[in-house]
Amino acid sequence: MIVTTEHLSKWYGQVSGLNDVTVAVPPGITGLLGPNGAGKSTFMKLITGQLKPSKGAVHVLGEPIWGNPALYQRIGFCPEQDAFYERMTGIDWVTALVRLNGLSQDAARAAAERALTAVDLMEAANKKIGAYSKGMRQRVKMAQAIVHEPDLLILDEPLTGMDPIMRRRTIRQIKDWARAGKSIIVSSHILHEVEAMTSNILLINNGRILAEGNVHQIRDLIDTHPHTVFIRVADPRALARTLLVEDGVISMRFEPGALVVETARPDAFYARVTQMAASGEVGVIDEVTSPDDNLQAVFQYLVKQ
Amino acid sequence: MGVQGVQGVQEVQGVQKGQGTPGPGSSPARSSFAGAARIFDLSLGELIWSRRTIFMALIVGAPVLLATIARIVQASGVAPLRVNGQGVDPASIFGMIIWVLFLRFIVPVLGVFYGTSLIADEVDDKTITYLFTRPLRRGAVLLGKYLAYLACTTLVVLPSVMIVYFMLVPLRDVARTFPALLTDLGLLSIGIAAYGAVFTMVGAWMKRPLVVGLVFTFGWEQFAMLMPGYLRRFTLAHYLQALVPHAMPADESVTSLLQSVFSESPSAPLSLFVLITITVLSLAWAMRIVERKEYVLEQ
Repeated sequence: MIVTTEHLSKWYGQVSGLNDVTVAVPPGITGLLGPNGAGKSTFMKLITGQLKPSKGAVHVLGEPIWGNPALYQRIGFCPEQDAFYERMTGIDWVTALVRLNGLSQDAARAAAERALTAVDLMEAANKKIGAYSKGMRQRVKMAQAIVHEPDLLILDEPLTGMDPIMRRRTIRQIKDWARAGKSIIVSSHILHEVEAMTSNILLINNGRILAEGNVHQIRDLIDTHPHTVFIRVADPRALARTLLVEDGVISMRFEPGALVVETARPDAFYARVTQMAASGEVGVIDEVTSPDDNLQAVFQYLVKQ
Repeated sequence: MGVQGVQGVQEVQGVQKGQGTPGPGSSPARSSFAGAARIFDLSLGELIWSRRTIFMALIVGAPVLLATIARIVQASGVAPLRVNGQGVDPASIFGMIIWVLFLRFIVPVLGVFYGTSLIADEVDDKTITYLFTRPLRRGAVLLGKYLAYLACTTLVVLPSVMIVYFMLVPLRDVARTFPALLTDLGLLSIGIAAYGAVFTMVGAWMKRPLVVGLVFTFGWEQFAMLMPGYLRRFTLAHYLQALVPHAMPADESVTSLLQSVFSESPSAPLSLFVLITITVLSLAWAMRIVERKEYVLEQ
């Protein structure tokens, strides 16, 4: 097992972030799925040693993580927050961080170049991070997580802000890393993202792991619920015209520079949007996101049953 | 249908005892000093190009401006500054600037604003995660950032002092007063180190470190230094004051006033010992706090 927790709880004062979680995460890719406020971030922070358990224990790669910095040599973490040293270039930032792993300047630079190439960001490596698009910022975060070639990658909402093509490429990359023997824990509030990477999931809600196992049955439940998708696109009206004839589109509304679509067939819909992004038939699609209301609705449905 | 009923999804049963994996060993654990040196490299540029540096340049520029004005007045042939009918020599004015502006104002202010922000800024900017998920001790992160603060402020403050000195002190007096200038530079470095260490500790420890720092500097230190008795022993200014080397203005009343203040000063070796001890203990305490403290980033 790559991560084990025993009766793990975390309180922030009177507020419970995680409640008596006992779980074992196997090698390979594991998706941590839950709506906003479910406890995903708390769980991620506990297994990356940023928080100390209020109760219980966490072991990562067989060792306790809290107060054990040597273990970070084997762990790569891509945090959720969009935070950087904005004045630094991508290559300088990744180089500086991997130097903290003990690499010499030359070795660190070479490792940073490899990592940026792996996330398709080498062309923008010498630009300041402050000038990066949201998708590029996500990718440079991924680069700093993989740059020291860790055994375990912990990715907190890694696909947020990526365009459909980069999203597909990143999913493929994550699967490639798993095939290369790395273990990956990835959190998301979008089931379809997780499902594209792995069928092994942990369902988390209200600070508890509700279930773990195969994702497909949950997916079927989600498919019966209307699913909202937010698409930032150069020409929302052209996109809307194209989508009008698609099966499963229940409603559409315009927002500044974006189209919000409600669909009853999210699988088919995401595939179609990715296809449109690749062909360019409706112009550049900058971002596709799914509000976590979708998952929240399904969780409410599950809990009520 | 609940979660329990979902086919293929198993209830969490409990911990499956894992095989475990070998502990780290692919590379040696980084020593605290090596880690601190790398954090220093990363942090120095960030500190130098931060908004605080503009603030620092402004307050360090004030004495330079004063010295420039004094130089212009001197060059224009206007009668020199007199106290009770006696002239005050430039070296004494320089000494007063060192004590009043630099040691009692600029150095503490820089200590407060930089020291309290070393960890707090990383937490506020949410970049602390990148530093605390690397294989080096958190104490080394703090030490590296403190050293970057020391380098950044020293590199700005000391040249400013040199400029003020050469603006005020006539060339003919340089040979006589230059050793005192070197002592001043050393003294300022000690002040920067001591105030910085104390407020780094405050920053690592408290939730509102800036408020605490300002109250300490402009409330407690000012009050305690004015009070007779032992209170002033609980200030940094008391020990820094004992190290000030300058000849004070020649006027007897000014001299007696200053002497009355300075007469209760501890010896220079004792002051040096106390300041170094405070610096080391504050840093050690700050490192211990950071090692044990959780930093919860706001979502």
